[in-house]
Amino acid sequence: MLQFLIKRFGQSVILILIVTLITFFLINLAPGGPASMMRMDATAEERAALSERLGLNDPIPVRYGKWLGDAVQGDLGPSLSSGQPVMDRIVERFPHTLKLAFWTIIFSVIIGVVLGIISARNRNTWRDHTINFGSVIGLSIPSFWLAIMLILLFSVQLQWLPSAGTGEGFVGQFKSMIMPVIILSTATLPTIVRFTRSSMLEVVSQNYVRTARAKGMKEKTVIYSHALRNALIPVISIIGVLIPRLLSGTVIVESVFGWPGMGRLIVEAAQSRDYNLVMGVTVVATVLVIFSNFIVDIIYSKVDPRVKNIG
Amino acid sequence: MKSKLATLLMVFILFIAGCSSDTNTSGESSSGGKETEGVSKGGNVSIPIVGDPIFNPWHPNAYAESNLVNRVLFQGLTKPGLDNLPVGNLAEEWTTSEDGLVWTFKLKEGVKWHDGEEFTAEDVAFTFNDLVLNASLGSNGASNYKALDKVVEVDDYTVEFHLKSPFASLPAYLAFNSEILPAHKFEGVEDPWEFTDFNKENPVGIGSFKMGEYISGQSLKLVKNAEYHNGEPNLDSVTFKILPDVNTQIAQALSNELDIFVLEDKSSLARIEQAENIELVTADITRYFWISLDMENPKFQDVKVRQAMLHAIDRETIIDSVLEGYGEIANAAITPDQKQYFNEDLKTYEFDPEKSKQLLKEAGWEDTDGDGILDKDGEDFTFQFDIALQGDLEQIAVLVQQYLKDVGFDVELNTMEWNAMIQKNIIDRDFDMILNWWSYPSDPDIYAQYHSSNAGTGNNIPGYQSEELDKLLEKGQSTSDPDERAVVYDEVQEYMAENLPYIYLWYPKELSIRSNRLSNVPDMYVGGALHYIYEWSVTE
Repeated sequence: MLQFLIKRFGQSVILILIVTLITFFLINLAPGGPASMMRMDATAEERAALSERLGLNDPIPVRYGKWLGDAVQGDLGPSLSSGQPVMDRIVERFPHTLKLAFWTIIFSVIIGVVLGIISARNRNTWRDHTINFGSVIGLSIPSFWLAIMLILLFSVQLQWLPSAGTGEGFVGQFKSMIMPVIILSTATLPTIVRFTRSSMLEVVSQNYVRTARAKGMKEKTVIYSHALRNALIPVISIIGVLIPRLLSGTVIVESVFGWPGMGRLIVEAAQSRDYNLVMGVTVVATVLVIFSNFIVDIIYSKVDPRVKNIG
Repeated sequence: MKSKLATLLMVFILFIAGCSSDTNTSGESSSGGKETEGVSKGGNVSIPIVGDPIFNPWHPNAYAESNLVNRVLFQGLTKPGLDNLPVGNLAEEWTTSEDGLVWTFKLKEGVKWHDGEEFTAEDVAFTFNDLVLNASLGSNGASNYKALDKVVEVDDYTVEFHLKSPFASLPAYLAFNSEILPAHKFEGVEDPWEFTDFNKENPVGIGSFKMGEYISGQSLKLVKNAEYHNGEPNLDSVTFKILPDVNTQIAQALSNELDIFVLEDKSSLARIEQAENIELVTADITRYFWISLDMENPKFQDVKVRQAMLHAIDRETIIDSVLEGYGEIANAAITPDQKQYFNEDLKTYEFDPEKSKQLLKEAGWEDTDGDGILDKDGEDFTFQFDIALQGDLEQIAVLVQQYLKDVGFDVELNTMEWNAMIQKNIIDRDFDMILNWWSYPSDPDIYAQYHSSNAGTGNNIPGYQSEELDKLLEKGQSTSDPDERAVVYDEVQEYMAENLPYIYLWYPKELSIRSNRLSNVPDMYVGGALHYIYEWSVTE
């Protein structure tokens, strides 16, 4: 286990370095500069003064070196647009995104597994077809469109749910999360349904399930005690894959629902060429993805006793 | 094993729950609907902004969203009057010296900052001398004050603006995003842009509403300043909601969650027109759309070519379709909202492709080889048309491109992200043709966008240079008498309409959504009406 941890840690550090290197060069090489310098009416003198102040006159590799030097000491620098420490801006926004992502995963897993089982147990019946059809629709509908439709229905017409914001109090917070979680789930739920279905179908054709049935066990016991646990293993691994998809989904969802999270922050940062903030959010997102995959691996080894010595 | 896993999961859930415990917004606005002298007191007005504001009007990153907020938190020496001419605000009156180089402003006495300190001449001197005129800071809008040499405190309530050259529009510019900051808060602050305690968290203003509660990315609540120098505001609070998506804004207006905002995107107009809880209000704004041609390119130097281009573009149709009718044809740079300066009798360029072809022929451009493209001395009239992806610019550009193609120009459209466009077109001045707009304070002084001294690096984007126009612009700046100025700027507009330093397209009208519960909002553009937010009221 220790050896595995060390190896994973080493891999992660290298991965983060590569990601920051690529991101730093991409964002700095993109045409334009920090938004303060990109105003239509700014004069050449104003731009020169700002460029000097923001330290943008050094060559890019030198700036990357400086950034990296500070970053390893935990200093992600000031945001180029507001002057606040990048870390503060992320800490302010991160919990909101985490909250959405967490409940989306919970919601998708519970509903997805249930639907997947129903689908598998009723293979090739109308139930199966309906669920399949729903999954395809969910995956293919553009989320911003669906989000606006939901807002028009639930906020404007019925006035049941708030159209934006994080809400106040327990009920308010819960209500304000419903639509964002549903929209985010369209990216994750169908995948979980399909994985559960195919993995379930594979498991129920295994010999031990046939044996269980031959013993005369109830169908429910066969499915839930014997088949399900094994069928869930690949489903757990897919959650790790879904996390990055979820994070990219927050970009749209947070903008439409006025949700003060990191998805919106990265868009604002990229549009305004806030180099430090782009780098900060990238690092945090990368760490989050690596960490969640790591957790998934651990859970995986617990659920499947055969995976004793991962790595 | 199982229990360990459960513990791990538990810790994770607790962590998430801990992170997500939101700061609860304190206390709803209390009173609502109490009637005094026909004006209802109390209540809250909600206004959307697209991003997190910076509470400092001079900060290089204070954009449109910050401007709206700062107009309510802070105050300028002047503000736009209901007729758009500057009127006193923190300054009660002003006089100008014979040579126009010294302006003396009498300040209002007994005005208090939100922290109780008194407003004095020191604050004005600090704002201009230490922020605006400090070139190394690159203050937002500093270029508007190029003519300013220094601000001198005469006594606690008198300041003098010493100028390097006459600047008749000074009072108008002082009303335009030029709010005064409290000197005492900035004492000992090394870098005013990194003073985030003020700029992002605890601004001390002087306006009708003061800082309440701010949740980054979500909302900013300002509460009534009962000591406001123009009288106690009617509303209890103003909430700026941070909503980047225009569709969400519209949905919130329909569900009574927002009260007033400018509708930039007119695609949902039909839906809004049906709504009973809101009304649409049009207003004049000081803005015009233009095409800028690279004046260093010999092809565009012939005025007949520029005139031909304008005759080729059906502006009426573009206004009706893309702008849904909210705009009028422009012939020069001075906008119709400036009634005392706007010249109605200018040369106009009606849509007439035949006339366009005729003018091009006179300029030597004709399609001699029958390929549908104009040519002259064997060279085709080919050029690139750069356009930024912003609002309806691309939609307009596609139409313009088609109209120009119809008379034989070979136009290639090149769409770019805004930031990239600024880099290529504005900083590097690398373009053949671009289309954009200017907004400016309600004053006819458009020296910055037209004077030869601003060609190349300043705001004279086409790089148009004319001694005749320069002289007129200089004369306009040195005359402070409104009637004399009107004569000068009449001539300026005639010159523009005839010579087309920029190709003028239209003056857009501002279309805003206003909730029916709002009253006492002055009849002007939203940004202007915000100067009078202390008079606004709501009925529940």
